[in-house]
Amino acid sequence: MNASADPAYDTHATADTGHPIRLRVFRCRAGDRSGHFDEFRIEVAPDTTVLDALVAIRTRLDPTLVLRHSCFHASCGTCGMRVNDREVMACVTKVLELGTPTVKVEPIANQALLGDLATDMVDFYARFNAIGRSLMRESEWLPDASRPAGVESYNRFESCIECGLCLSACPVVASDPRYLGPAALAAAERAIDEPRGLDPGAVLALIDDPQGAWRCHAAFECSEACPSAVDPAGAIMALRRRAASGRLRSLLGGRHA
Amino acid sequence: MSEQSVVKRGTEGASPRRRGIAGWGDPRGRRLGGWAFILNRLTGLGVLAYLFLHLIVLSLLARGPSAWDGFVSIAASPLFLCFDVVLIFGLLFHGLNGIRVTLVGFGLVVDRQRAMFVALMIIGAIALVVAAIHIFTVG
Amino acid sequence: MTERSSAPHVVIVGGGGTGGAVAHDLALRGLRVTLVERGELTSGTTGRHHGLLHSGARYAVKDRESAVECIEENRILRKIAPGSFELNDGLFVAITEADEAYEPLFFESCLASDIPARRVTRAEALALEPNLNPAIRCAVQVPDGTIDAMRLPLRFFATARRNGATIKPYTEAVAMTMTATSAGRCVTGVSVIDRTSGRRYEIGADLVVNAGGPWAEKIAALAGVDVPIQPSPGVLVAVRGRYANMVINRLHASGDGDIVVPQRELSVIGTSSWLADDPDHLTVPADHVAMMISEGSAMIPAIASATVRATWSAARPLIGERGATSGRELSRTFKCFDHAPDGVEGFVTISGGKATTLRAMAEAAANVVCAKLAIPDPCRTREYVLAPHTAYYA
Repeated sequence: MNASADPAYDTHATADTGHPIRLRVFRCRAGDRSGHFDEFRIEVAPDTTVLDALVAIRTRLDPTLVLRHSCFHASCGTCGMRVNDREVMACVTKVLELGTPTVKVEPIANQALLGDLATDMVDFYARFNAIGRSLMRESEWLPDASRPAGVESYNRFESCIECGLCLSACPVVASDPRYLGPAALAAAERAIDEPRGLDPGAVLALIDDPQGAWRCHAAFECSEACPSAVDPAGAIMALRRRAASGRLRSLLGGRHA
Repeated sequence: MSEQSVVKRGTEGASPRRRGIAGWGDPRGRRLGGWAFILNRLTGLGVLAYLFLHLIVLSLLARGPSAWDGFVSIAASPLFLCFDVVLIFGLLFHGLNGIRVTLVGFGLVVDRQRAMFVALMIIGAIALVVAAIHIFTVG
Repeated sequence: MTERSSAPHVVIVGGGGTGGAVAHDLALRGLRVTLVERGELTSGTTGRHHGLLHSGARYAVKDRESAVECIEENRILRKIAPGSFELNDGLFVAITEADEAYEPLFFESCLASDIPARRVTRAEALALEPNLNPAIRCAVQVPDGTIDAMRLPLRFFATARRNGATIKPYTEAVAMTMTATSAGRCVTGVSVIDRTSGRRYEIGADLVVNAGGPWAEKIAALAGVDVPIQPSPGVLVAVRGRYANMVINRLHASGDGDIVVPQRELSVIGTSSWLADDPDHLTVPADHVAMMISEGSAMIPAIASATVRATWSAARPLIGERGATSGRELSRTFKCFDHAPDGVEGFVTISGGKATTLRAMAEAAANVVCAKLAIPDPCRTREYVLAPHTAYYA
């Protein structure tokens, strides 16, 4: 089946739609002290996303725009940005649904910048990797279905797409570089809940630290920002429960030992 | 010729763009929890400052009736009464939000924490209005 | 074993799955490798696919070569990248009478392609996947799985880096340095612009590998050669909700929208097919989106009312001459083009293929490269277990 090349049928069109929009895009070279905003004019369709608009800008207007993206469906975690001051995944954020004639686009906060809108994820992964959580988890969907021959249990990829939106939104991460951060802590809670070969006690010891689970101040901005319903704030509180009850038990157990 | 760099690291000059403590004053993009965080800090500092003021004021008692009377005369002025209302807001907010942070910090009521915050703020608002009326009408 | 310091330097243009796998293969054979990619790694076609780890069953009837390639690579990938797949198998479901009539040929073709297939009754299919269309007649179980479209290739990049390769994203190839030779011309370097700094510089190369996917033709043009790569886009739709844990395929001759791939807590429906000229200008036609939803809900009715998370297009690189009327008739196998017979030495293009066959494509390309550079080391990527994707950022 051949689709018509007529742009009227393109649900993600970035030209000739009759809906003009202004994008103010943050520009900065790595190492610069401060950046500036470039303004671009583009037209959008109802389903055109912020990422579509940025890709069109890079293709047609400015090939020097540094842009990070991959999967186009909020699964890879690479296109996290601050759009109109809110942390979002650009590929699933429709421009017209933002409701503003000018859309401000900035990189996520609290991470080093590679350039323009692309952040260097080295720091994110340094914290994340310390936990050692597996990419896989048992699938909790359709628990009553039977399993096919040869498949012991259904598994799925972890919900966390490693996007860094939580770190960008967290006010503690913003002011304290020593804080482990919501992403790593949420990973720690998952690792303890479903170890898959890890030592849950070691993970718990790692996060039971003033700069670990105890550094959070319950702003819950991380859970609001998360595009994958990981609920890092809930995970941090669950970690505190584990750590506290563990200490209590050893305290009581110690008396009777 | 061929460079050794891989993905450019933060140490090469682009330090993390932390919003920092200055970012606490930036209201853009903040949701309810972010506001609670900022206000908790501001009210905490405010209440602490009030504590010192209060001690200074109380020390006037040691200086005799005329010093104390001098204080009492400005204490009844409308501007001062407004400060009192602001102080009570600070105490109420810090205390009530503090209840939320404490409960949540122990892993309790985590899934309904937003609703709890709103409920506590409503209680606080009612208490503040009652207190304000009392402050301005007691003569 | 080749000594790396004196080894030839290969520059790979294109940071998709193929480029990453070629970098990994060549690094293992001791070559010096630099890979340049104009955007983020896998930001071209690789990151956008629905994530199917092919059993090959889809091609068993009409494209035997492809089917055999797929099942072989399916097995290899499970071994070299453990913990990177949702391994819940897949079902080919027959909804109509025509589907049911197709089943015996399909089943036999799978077995003939060495694809482990198992006949499944209607009752069992509904017990396995309760959200399937109750009108289902029968099904066939095959070893499909789900790939994380970015993180699996990232493991190849991580391993290549660990073994000495230099990976440069945000580095765009803008020109090839060519030297005249007695036989024509030879590529001796790639001019690139580092987009993060704006700086233009040259990377010297003993050989350049064009792994640009649907952009391969644009890159080949920099070296003055033409490659018969036709961008063939298709629409994909992701809806919220994991309606099946297994991959659900339609049991019929390949068509549009006949696969639903579970991925995390989404269901990804794909895909369609048309021919385009420019991989940088892909449309997302409304009628194709509607078709994905209707074809997907023919297999899983709940999809019709599911919330759409995203709709997008991805361009397959298909090998063939321009003028073919529909992308589906072209072969899905990959090819390695040595451009020396075209008068350009030191330039090789690898293109075509599927996400599942990235390692095999890389092996073929690396063999051509090593033959040209007189490197005796054999390919080791069939057994070499890959580093985790998080190691890329270490």
